[in-house]
Amino acid sequence: MARSSVQSTIVFEVLRRLTTAAGITIILSVVAVIVSAVVAGPFTLVNAIVTGGMWALLAVGLSLVFGVMNIPNFAHGEFFMVGTLVSYLVFTPLHKYLRQNPSSVLSTVAPFAGIFAALLVGALLGVVVEKLIFFQLRRRSREQWVMNSFLLTVGLSVVMINGHQLLWGTNFKGIPRYWDVKPIDLFGVNISMDRAVALGLAVVTIAIFWFFLMRTRTGRAIRAVAQDETGAQMVGIDLNRIQVLTMALSSALAAMAGASLLFMFPSYPTVGLKPLYVAWYVVILVGLGNVAGATIGGFLVALLQTLTSYFIGVGWEDVVPTALIILILLFKPSGLFGSEVKGVWEQ
Amino acid sequence: MQKTETVSARAGRLGNGLLSILNALGITPLGLALIILLAILPFIPPFDREDLLRWLVGAALIAAQAIAFDFTTGYINVVNFGFAAFLGFGAYTSALLAVDFGISPWIGMFVGALASGGLGFFTGVLTLRLRGIFAAVMAWFVGLALLGLARNLVDITRGPMGLSVPTFLETASNRPYFYIILVMLLITYLVLRWITSSHIGLAFKAIGQNIEAARASGVNPTFYRVFNFTVQCAFAGWLGGFYAHYYGILTPQLMHTSHTVEVLAIAYVGGRGSIWGGAFIAFPFIFFIEWLRSSLTSLPGLHLVIYGLLLILVMIFYPGGVAQFYYWIADRVGKARRGSAEQSG
Amino acid sequence: MTAILEAKDIVKRFGGLVAVNRVSLTVNEGEIFGLIGPNGAGKTTFLNSIAGTFKPNAGVVRFLGRETTGFRSDVMCKLGMSRTFQISQPFPKLTALENVMVSAVFGNERGAVRDPEAWSRQMLDFVEFPMPPDTRADNLNTVQLKRLDLARALASKPKLLLLDELAAGLTTGELDDLMAIIRKIRDSGVTIVMVEHIMRVIMGLCDRIVVIHYGEKIAEGTPEEVAHDPKVAEAYLGEKYIL
Repeated sequence: MARSSVQSTIVFEVLRRLTTAAGITIILSVVAVIVSAVVAGPFTLVNAIVTGGMWALLAVGLSLVFGVMNIPNFAHGEFFMVGTLVSYLVFTPLHKYLRQNPSSVLSTVAPFAGIFAALLVGALLGVVVEKLIFFQLRRRSREQWVMNSFLLTVGLSVVMINGHQLLWGTNFKGIPRYWDVKPIDLFGVNISMDRAVALGLAVVTIAIFWFFLMRTRTGRAIRAVAQDETGAQMVGIDLNRIQVLTMALSSALAAMAGASLLFMFPSYPTVGLKPLYVAWYVVILVGLGNVAGATIGGFLVALLQTLTSYFIGVGWEDVVPTALIILILLFKPSGLFGSEVKGVWEQ
Repeated sequence: MQKTETVSARAGRLGNGLLSILNALGITPLGLALIILLAILPFIPPFDREDLLRWLVGAALIAAQAIAFDFTTGYINVVNFGFAAFLGFGAYTSALLAVDFGISPWIGMFVGALASGGLGFFTGVLTLRLRGIFAAVMAWFVGLALLGLARNLVDITRGPMGLSVPTFLETASNRPYFYIILVMLLITYLVLRWITSSHIGLAFKAIGQNIEAARASGVNPTFYRVFNFTVQCAFAGWLGGFYAHYYGILTPQLMHTSHTVEVLAIAYVGGRGSIWGGAFIAFPFIFFIEWLRSSLTSLPGLHLVIYGLLLILVMIFYPGGVAQFYYWIADRVGKARRGSAEQSG
Repeated sequence: MTAILEAKDIVKRFGGLVAVNRVSLTVNEGEIFGLIGPNGAGKTTFLNSIAGTFKPNAGVVRFLGRETTGFRSDVMCKLGMSRTFQISQPFPKLTALENVMVSAVFGNERGAVRDPEAWSRQMLDFVEFPMPPDTRADNLNTVQLKRLDLARALASKPKLLLLDELAAGLTTGELDDLMAIIRKIRDSGVTIVMVEHIMRVIMGLCDRIVVIHYGEKIAEGTPEEVAHDPKVAEAYLGEKYIL
């Protein structure tokens, strides 16, 4: 009797989820994809998917830090900025050298050197920020932690943006493209190598990240901390280590996204603001701390932005998604997919 | 001999009466001295120079904003991250009324306050049912949307080209403007201080410190949060009106998040939940920043790095800010006085 | 005897877990009513669904003769039902007096407490709060916080008071003090529903008891009746309670 009632609740849950906001949104966006591909041309779609992959990387990192450390990171975009900067600083001299000493192998590898350097610097910076800032506050006071840590990241963002301006100036530090090769032809659509690699990187990274989070010991420890910090500590998980690791992972992902998109976003002090907005749109849209939803949300928001700038006009791609998100949240305050991380709302 | 005593006694009574009035208004004798100092400052060299007067006006404007900011952050513990946008909304409302309909800035700024307050009310109703950080982020989104609107509705706002706005006065001198904003600063302080020291303020603090317990004590959190948010936005809009009709030019940049961060940093360094802390610190702070900006033009952005570092340091090491430092000093002085009084008695 | 609180078939689910399953009970005016059961039985959840912390999934709550199912907790407080928390919930940066004043000012219809400050001081005295009223709440220990929580709950002049494990963690001497205070509260005309683990308090104070186990009501009656109920003994088997 009890068992059958449990089973019927599960069936009920599944049915409910299919017909709720999440299900409807996914169905609607598939329709939007088809319509836009027909009306606006497949190129718009490719753009949406490429940027979507990177938004997903950013949003996953933002969501992870919120879920595990309860920090709403306002400086997340600045790690994106650092990524663009590092990759530029590494890639440009390599590129110059290669122009004088051409080597096809090296030209293929050189961009990856830039992206990888960005990844490393991002991770390192994440560790430094955790040790120097968040750890210090956590040690002193955990009162109203969410709000206070948020304000710390606000300060951090201001320092990083203007630090960039002080040291490297406000001029655009960009590259036309990473790879000087012919675009790939896919069903009659030309996709530049940079875009293809960016998408590939995003997919591979998310897959690896997913595997790490779900299947490895450390990944499980991270999820345990996200669900119940005290409980995780009781079973012997080193909280400090997890926090450092989470911060490093999140900022490395953001830096990597920045580096991969250097051809679209030349490095300058406030380049991180737009990715920051977007990452926050995604995270709020799918629910704070919902890492799985963030992946889908990244593509959703990118699609929304691409459609907006195509159909309504350039410059509106921040206004329309914002309005839409506010509308959605009126009816679904916990986000489209609901939050799977408990304790997130408690502060 | 006896006569002089009665005179001094009368003077003493008069002084006591004045003190109690000031106390009721929420102004300490030290505060009064500072207000008087501010009032005569524009006549004391070098502050009678036009460029320094301009700094003074800017500082007073930031000071008033910091008070309004703390009214929400320091009490109900919600950060209005779209603060600058609400300020800008009031500014544009007042400016457009003056430009398109020839309505006097003196009336326009109050209409701007109403408009911002109304928008704040709607934003609050939508977002403040949710937990603090969510409300902060949602207010930020609303701010971003407003900024986007101001940039894109070029036909109305002239977008990034800037909207030129009629000023309050014909004069080129900054001194009268300083007195306008000084009065506005005082009104902001007195009204918000009056609200926070009433029973409503008790409800604010209860909600900000423990929302569950506040509910169980009969406080309706949504009502008081929305009320607080609306008042803050109305004041932001009102101050925005001053901004528009003082500087005479409006760009969407006014609504940018970095402006919110500036106000936020000053309010926090001044001391959360004190109302006066941010206003007090704004004057030396803005002067220091402006001096830095004008003397170190080769290092653009340095002043903002200082903003950021200061915010981080205060948040970690001294969360009560300058206000906490003041209360600590006052406490020590009080104890020392009581100690010496006991010894002599 | 008139009923002050009637709960009928209250159900509260969290996802798939049914924390409270069709629990009904009636509390009469002027009595001390006990709610007991093993850890995790759903007692606090039951209190929360009555006091408006969250809405029950099903069932009807009647308080003072009117239906109040799903009313918010601030509304319930204003109607005359106040509560203490299992883990004390103070306003950390307010003084003890201000903590109580919040409830004195907002916890009832406007004007019910004419001088909130004096009334709050009186409440602190009533619960024998051991510290000066101007002590900040974040300087209080657990026992002092529980007293403060009680004073806060009383300051709204409730007709029904819900006490959630108020006696947990007290020494024997403190228990006697607390029991005396609770009797005093009842004698002043306040009906009390208490969730409690300490049997000495339950047996010494309650007029009637309901036992909850796995979210369901398994027994009801006077302390003696409940103590001799075989179902109750079974529920507690393996636990350290001696009835």
